[in-house]
Amino acid sequence: MHPDVSPRGRRPKYRQLPHTADLGWRIWGDSLPELFENAAAALVSTLTDRRRLRLSETREISLESVDRESLLVDWLNYLLYLFDVDGFLGRDFRVASLTSRRLRARVRGERFDPARHPERTGVKAATYHQLKIGREEGVWQATVIIDL
Amino acid sequence: MASSVTLRQIDDYRWEIPREGKMRTRGLIFCSREMLPDVQGDQSLQQVANVATLPGIVGPSMAMPDIHWGYGFAIGGVAAFNLDEGIISPGGVGYDINCGVRLLRTKLHRDQVQPRMEELVNILFGNIPSGVGSRRKDLKLSMPTLKQVMKYGSNWAVKNGYGHESDLDHIEARGTIEGADPDMVSQFAMDRGKDQLGTLGSGNHFVEVGQVLEIYDKKIAAALGLFKDQVTVIVHTGSRGLGHQVCDDYIKVMLKASAKYGIELPDRQLCCAPLGSPEGRQYLAAMSAAANFAFANRQMVTHWVRESFEQVFQMGPRDLGMELVYDVAHNIAKIETHTVDGKSQKLCIHRKGATRAFPPGHPEVPEAYRETGQPVLIPGDMGRYSFVLVGTQQALTETFGSTCHGAGRRMSRHAALKVAKGRSIVRELAERGIIVRGAGRGTIDEEISEAYKDVQGVVDICHGAGIAKKVAKLKPMGVMKG
Repeated sequence: MHPDVSPRGRRPKYRQLPHTADLGWRIWGDSLPELFENAAAALVSTLTDRRRLRLSETREISLESVDRESLLVDWLNYLLYLFDVDGFLGRDFRVASLTSRRLRARVRGERFDPARHPERTGVKAATYHQLKIGREEGVWQATVIIDL
Repeated sequence: MASSVTLRQIDDYRWEIPREGKMRTRGLIFCSREMLPDVQGDQSLQQVANVATLPGIVGPSMAMPDIHWGYGFAIGGVAAFNLDEGIISPGGVGYDINCGVRLLRTKLHRDQVQPRMEELVNILFGNIPSGVGSRRKDLKLSMPTLKQVMKYGSNWAVKNGYGHESDLDHIEARGTIEGADPDMVSQFAMDRGKDQLGTLGSGNHFVEVGQVLEIYDKKIAAALGLFKDQVTVIVHTGSRGLGHQVCDDYIKVMLKASAKYGIELPDRQLCCAPLGSPEGRQYLAAMSAAANFAFANRQMVTHWVRESFEQVFQMGPRDLGMELVYDVAHNIAKIETHTVDGKSQKLCIHRKGATRAFPPGHPEVPEAYRETGQPVLIPGDMGRYSFVLVGTQQALTETFGSTCHGAGRRMSRHAALKVAKGRSIVRELAERGIIVRGAGRGTIDEEISEAYKDVQGVVDICHGAGIAKKVAKLKPMGVMKG
């Protein structure tokens, strides 16, 4: 629905998958950190037009989880937590370090303002359903289903 | 992906998934031949079969006619578990804990309201925060207050000036689930909820001003205070970010607990814990706290609905007569007493996209409805109609007092947007006499009628099967979409 092409214009960062009750995202990245960054971009693009967000505030995020897949779900749900707490939405995501259990990232963006930012769809949570992270021909790929 | 689960027809409204493999019981689907293709279109029947494998399940693993794929349990799923070996699962409740519906009646005739509908929808829109990231700027709760909300639900709201004491008599469980323990709710969840009390949220949540289009049962309708052409209001919302976080928090707890207690799961999303275990008890207490938050939320939205009517029609509460008909939860797990094989037994009933439907005379049905049965409120999509039904004895004995909850989607949001592309859904609805206002254009397009099953079909199956009884049909006049 909102195709977002990588700077090199080769491959999209993410693409929406049809799903009756909810919403699925297929996400790509050249590296695992990039995959996580692109997943965050996909999530924010579900809520609003990411390109309209200013880079006026920063959030430092540090998370721990049981495995890589859970870490991806936790990362996305943490971004939803920040949004609910004070309306913060990220535009620029930098994953500084990533192991299969730990993530540190810096997110820049601003607080959502309905006057300037178009409303798209509310998101309840990122889920473990059909959750997959894999690598094909050197490209990282993930599938995440979002509960709306 | 179509379902490959075996289905055997029992009668016009009942289909069975025979017990096989690791299933501990059979599956029972309420459906008609016409709606069967909708049901078979996704993996929801497999989900019904999966639930049948869980320990301590009592009676069949059931699905209502509005069944569709959900996280873990299908939406439209009902399952009962005994307290000894049985389990409780966040997937059996869903992310929006105590998402539910309430119906208000008025003394107004549709002709009084129709000409002012645009203004009314705009005023509602101004008074009730809605949409993506909706929060109240004027009402930020301190943590101790938030804990009171989670402990006392609608009761807290009424005590603080949102509504009347008499409202409580017309809410499932009087708007307060006992056993709620706010200390079992994480700080994360409370952070998400503290500015969201009294907000509608987004997606399929709404406030709908409607009219009584048709009465099926005059006597019961009269007992519910409903008459033809009367203006009514439906409020549909839940526990907002607080409930979503409770679900997310406890899915993590349950993933570990399932392994710890050696519960074999056909699908990780069915992660659960024994009802008697610390994890199970903690989730039940946290889920109940989130449910109370939702009851308080609907109570407060109701207060602002009443104020909006007073503002637009310049009438006092007595003349408007905006009384609560009932408030039902349709995403919840509850400890209830049921009769199984002639014996009274406490069970944990999971209703995920299903509504309680207790019969006349049941002790948990409020005094006012002892003779009619508990009102059941089934919202449809914004372009068609909604229904009022009552619970039945058949429901109590066959489905642990449960029935359907709504229309159920038949089209993905993506597909709905494609269908809506190039059309003005707002104008199309206005031409049919329905004023719709949404926070974002996207939400309205995603919620077009075509994206949903016809709720009439769903309700007719429940009525035909006897697990609810039709009382009245409501038609939307003005809708505020979240």
